[in-house]
Amino acid sequence: MAAPRKLSMKQRYAALTRDLDWDLSYVDEDKAYPYTSFEGIKIHDWSKWEDPFRLTIDAYMKYQAEKDKRLYAVLDSFAQGQGHLQLTDPSYLNAMKLFLQGVTPLEYQAHRNFAYLARFLNGPGPRFAALCQSQDELRHAQTEIHTLSNYNKYYQGMHSWQHQHDRVWYLSVPKSYFDDAVTAGPFEFLIAIGFSFEYLLTNLLFVPFMSGASFNGDLPTMTFGFSAQSDESRHMTLGLEAIKFMLEQDPDNVPIVQAWIDKWFWRGYRLLALVSQMLDYMLPRKVMSWKEAFELYFEEQMLGGLFPDLAYYGIKPPRHVEHAIAEKEILSHQVYWTLYQFSFAAGFTTTVPSEDAQKWLAEQYPQTFERLYKPLWDKASAVVDDGGRYFYQGLPQLCQVCQVPMLFTEPGDPTTICQRHTEFEGERYDFCSDGCQWIFEREPEKYVQAWLPVHQIYQGNCGGPTVPDVLAWYKLQPGDNGEIAGNVEQTAWEAWHATSSAEEQAPAPVAGN
Amino acid sequence: MAVRSIGEYKFPSRSRQELYGDDQLVHLWWKGNLWFCAAACFRAPKAMSWNDFVAGMVNPLFSCDPDFDAATTTFTWTVDDKPVSPAGDESLEALGVGHKSLITCVAA
Repeated sequence: MAAPRKLSMKQRYAALTRDLDWDLSYVDEDKAYPYTSFEGIKIHDWSKWEDPFRLTIDAYMKYQAEKDKRLYAVLDSFAQGQGHLQLTDPSYLNAMKLFLQGVTPLEYQAHRNFAYLARFLNGPGPRFAALCQSQDELRHAQTEIHTLSNYNKYYQGMHSWQHQHDRVWYLSVPKSYFDDAVTAGPFEFLIAIGFSFEYLLTNLLFVPFMSGASFNGDLPTMTFGFSAQSDESRHMTLGLEAIKFMLEQDPDNVPIVQAWIDKWFWRGYRLLALVSQMLDYMLPRKVMSWKEAFELYFEEQMLGGLFPDLAYYGIKPPRHVEHAIAEKEILSHQVYWTLYQFSFAAGFTTTVPSEDAQKWLAEQYPQTFERLYKPLWDKASAVVDDGGRYFYQGLPQLCQVCQVPMLFTEPGDPTTICQRHTEFEGERYDFCSDGCQWIFEREPEKYVQAWLPVHQIYQGNCGGPTVPDVLAWYKLQPGDNGEIAGNVEQTAWEAWHATSSAEEQAPAPVAGN
Repeated sequence: MAVRSIGEYKFPSRSRQELYGDDQLVHLWWKGNLWFCAAACFRAPKAMSWNDFVAGMVNPLFSCDPDFDAATTTFTWTVDDKPVSPAGDESLEALGVGHKSLITCVAA
């Protein structure tokens, strides 16, 4: 008798996704999959979904286990060798605090919603792709937490990230972004997260964080980045497959998808405002400027590479993209200037950029930095020289859609703040830009519910009426927030290094394989 | 365009005026002064007099700018883009300030 034939990878994938599926006979398809019609997307043939990876459960588990093994070996060796002392400066960790508070909970949210897609998409191919992505996202959330927990032992601002994600003003920006996506239908979610977040903007989010880690001595985060990278490239491909699948299934899908691209480009771009300041201000050793990153990862790769391909389906570059391009000279400066004056209420610290850092900024932004922003930093330095520290004595006006304080300026006029408003059912709503106003006016019923942190404080829902009440409700501890100079983190760092330079330096730990 | 949804989609505003009782939200913007990264948002009684608003809200905020001097810096004012010349005891409501109105000032 012949031995059982061993199936190829491709055959096993077909067996998993096609042979395990069956046609429903005693339940209507729209009862079993009730959420794939209300958005207006028409799918005629679910079997046309082409999964470029054709993963199977055993192959998936094997790859992920190998990557986890490598990551945890690095984490062990880092912990044993006091690796945290190899950072360029403790202020580098402000970028990682922002990541842990802002991005890690989004990974978990993505895990949940992809699990929902893994149940509720009609086709077995996209269901299995969603199942793999759901598990990836959970693994990313867990490995990010484990990676950064090594720093939590020694540094401030990382102890209550999950709690803070739901409460703190600047974290309502990523939170509301994802809440918007998961409360949409499954197809919009695929464009919002699968396409816009994981394809269009992913390099602008992950490359700066991971390169920032490698430039600033953060070996664990860099290793986490490598561990997530192959998943991320799979997600990018799936995001692209999702959009092409929808566009190819029916020409009526094109205008719906276009409107989602328009919405989710702008939503994602506003979220990335937090990344822009990280690149230009938070990293002690710079990787590249926001302007450079935007030109490479967005203008060149997406507007130059992706959108000419999508034009075949009748898809145009996102609405309002010209405003994003024009803002590349000013965005990071305006955002960090805002964080500087509101960091008394943040889970990270800020300071006036050093002379070297300002020189670098002037070189990177010859049109704008010295003319518009250096005078502000000079004035803030003078306040410090007089023994003070400028913090905004009040709460800012927020954009109803992106929830960022209304700090952005009029297109073409970087000295005048952009004010837009719309009246809906007798109430006024404010927006930071034409992009956010357009998003509101498409679906006002959705955004009137926005949980705007400033308004919630004034309604008495955030711990009490005073700033200390609110900070306690945010679970901020002394040293988490405010000014970098003189912070407990800085003092501890100097003491550790004074001790270690007095002793003989131990060789740097070598990462295990 | 309405939200496409699986059922009726109708929810009240989470920041409607009635949630603030006799108060309302008021935005204050010093136009042209980038020292303040954004306009401020206050909760103020509708009946608050202009003088109380200036003494209790405007001046404490503007005082974080070292170049501001409450005694000498003078402004021209608008409420929702309409020029106003506020008198001391006039209430915010009488000045045309509504829920989430924008009070703008430009240094003279």
